[in-house]
Amino acid sequence: MTTRREFLKIAGVATTTMVLPAQASNGPHLDSERFGVLADLTLCIGCRKCEWACAGANELSSYPIEYYDDTCVFEKYRRPTTTEYTVVNRFPASETSVQTDAKVQCMHCEHPACVSACIVGALQKDPMGPVTYDADKCIGCRYCMVACTFQVPAYEYLNATTPQVRKCTLCSDKTLNGSGKPACVEICPREALTFGKRSELLKIAEQRIRRNPDRYIDHVYGEKEAGGTSWMMISGTDFKELKFPEVGDESPAVVTETIQHGIFRGFSGPLMLLGLLGATMKAMKKDPSDG
Amino acid sequence: MFKQIFLIFLLLVTAAFGQLVDKDHATTHPERSVNTCLECKDCHTCDNPTREAPCLTSCPRHSHHFYGQHTSGEGPDVVIIDQLKNHYGPVAFAHRLHSAMSEMTGGCNNCHHYSEKDGVIPSCKECHLEESDDLSISMPSLKGAYHRQCINCHRDWAHDNACSFCHEPTDSEIPENLDTTDIVGVPHPRIQATSSYNYVTSYEDGPIVTFHHDDHVTLFGGQCSDCHKGDSCSRCHDETKQVQQINHLTSCCSCHQERDCLFCHSTQPKPPFQHRLTTGWDLEPYHTKTACKTCHNNPGSFKTPSAHCNDCHIHWDSGSFDHKITGLVLSEDHLDNDCVDCHSDRNFELQPECSECHDEITYPEELPGEKFR
Repeated sequence: MTTRREFLKIAGVATTTMVLPAQASNGPHLDSERFGVLADLTLCIGCRKCEWACAGANELSSYPIEYYDDTCVFEKYRRPTTTEYTVVNRFPASETSVQTDAKVQCMHCEHPACVSACIVGALQKDPMGPVTYDADKCIGCRYCMVACTFQVPAYEYLNATTPQVRKCTLCSDKTLNGSGKPACVEICPREALTFGKRSELLKIAEQRIRRNPDRYIDHVYGEKEAGGTSWMMISGTDFKELKFPEVGDESPAVVTETIQHGIFRGFSGPLMLLGLLGATMKAMKKDPSDG
Repeated sequence: MFKQIFLIFLLLVTAAFGQLVDKDHATTHPERSVNTCLECKDCHTCDNPTREAPCLTSCPRHSHHFYGQHTSGEGPDVVIIDQLKNHYGPVAFAHRLHSAMSEMTGGCNNCHHYSEKDGVIPSCKECHLEESDDLSISMPSLKGAYHRQCINCHRDWAHDNACSFCHEPTDSEIPENLDTTDIVGVPHPRIQATSSYNYVTSYEDGPIVTFHHDDHVTLFGGQCSDCHKGDSCSRCHDETKQVQQINHLTSCCSCHQERDCLFCHSTQPKPPFQHRLTTGWDLEPYHTKTACKTCHNNPGSFKTPSAHCNDCHIHWDSGSFDHKITGLVLSEDHLDNDCVDCHSDRNFELQPECSECHDEITYPEELPGEKFR
């Protein structure tokens, strides 16, 4: 026969152990050798070969290479879609800037909001860099699309039976086992895209900016944006003009995770209160029979 | 004795510690951690580089080490770049031409950013690897190096990224009669011109003028210099990106002497010239390669041919000529006719006459056989 005091003890310990593991996250585990891509927008000429290579590598479409010579697409600003994991946009020269072509794709954040929002773990941050997607786990809630800072994930609305969330994979089938570079990096004729260790790329980016201060603005987009991203850009034009979103240096996932985990940690209080209430009610129910 | 053993022990410990420090340095050094084949001397000139005084060797690209004194006449005439062919054929780079052009600006080191102390220019592939590895990550590979050099100027001047500007598409057919040696009187690399242009003019009755460049070059046998003689380089290689006004009085009217504006001007784009549609006489299949002037020898007038069929086909007569090649198989009744029975005066361009034999029959309402094409 447990006494009231013993019951309260057990209840208290149980709630505490239940709540303890849910703590504010410091982000996913990352390898110090993790890789990324540096895009030098001053070298990009908008040839759209990356789009062609991407479509082929991911079996998204089978247009011939000539199809991508069409520059009329630059008339409208484009975003990645379910059949185009990457698109190049052209920004004409203005009074303050030169003509710049800028590639858009999943940035593969260091602390991705989509991974944080995914309730089934279909999206995962690989310690080596890529944000991977497991279609078998995905339930199609599309929280990732809402969560993404860069509005990248696209959803196959036209696929009625097995729709998937589609976004750049950083060619993880090749890059994770070290057998190759992403398709877009491989094809880029001017090597505006450099694939390598993120730490090395940051050094190269800083070196290029330091050596050619007239050519570049002093900003590596993705070094700190949204807590840092695997894709990083250097440019001669302000990133605001290139429609790169202005995001803070902290990953939005940090904010949401802190709030949410904080609430759950705080639940130990209400739970204990509830336990106390239940125990009191039980005790009060017993009282008449005693007396 | 004890003292000696202690000293030896101390030495061993020091040596081991030294090894440890060296090894530690080797693995933590940013470049060494990437590639262990790299020797210290590869980057540092002194024996004991420190963080404060690294005594690094200078990178050829960024210091522009160029000692050479060369003239445009030196070096190869044409360089074939085919190390990296995949979708496109090899590139024939007109080296002599480019070196002549670069004499107007920066000279050889416009492109050759590095040469040995004795002035010898190494080829691109001596430094730039075919595949960049982790160590050379900040240096473009051969593919990147070539493209960065070429596209810089070609993009500014031609406003075009097309691969075919340098790379011959492997499946293309080059028009044989295209003479590329006569533009502005100097040899010029092959030009890929737009096949047709639609000019919008201020002429109200027919604002649109369609100019089929392809037709003029391949079909009408025009030479580049017929229209482009005396063009300045900046007509095509303009950095100002301003479309130059075309003076049609000199460029078009030097050949077209029509006084009818609507010959060129129209309210909608015109299709390319097809002999069959315009004249009713099909060049297919035997006369497609015949030059216009073979039959139309009167300058400025193409209305009627100046030459006639039997100027060339002198052996045509009823016994030797297979009428089938005209697309009309003669019926048995007509097989034995003489040519002049239908084609009076042996003028084969004129409509054949049936009235010689038949009262009520006219060509082409009724045919002397069966038409199959």
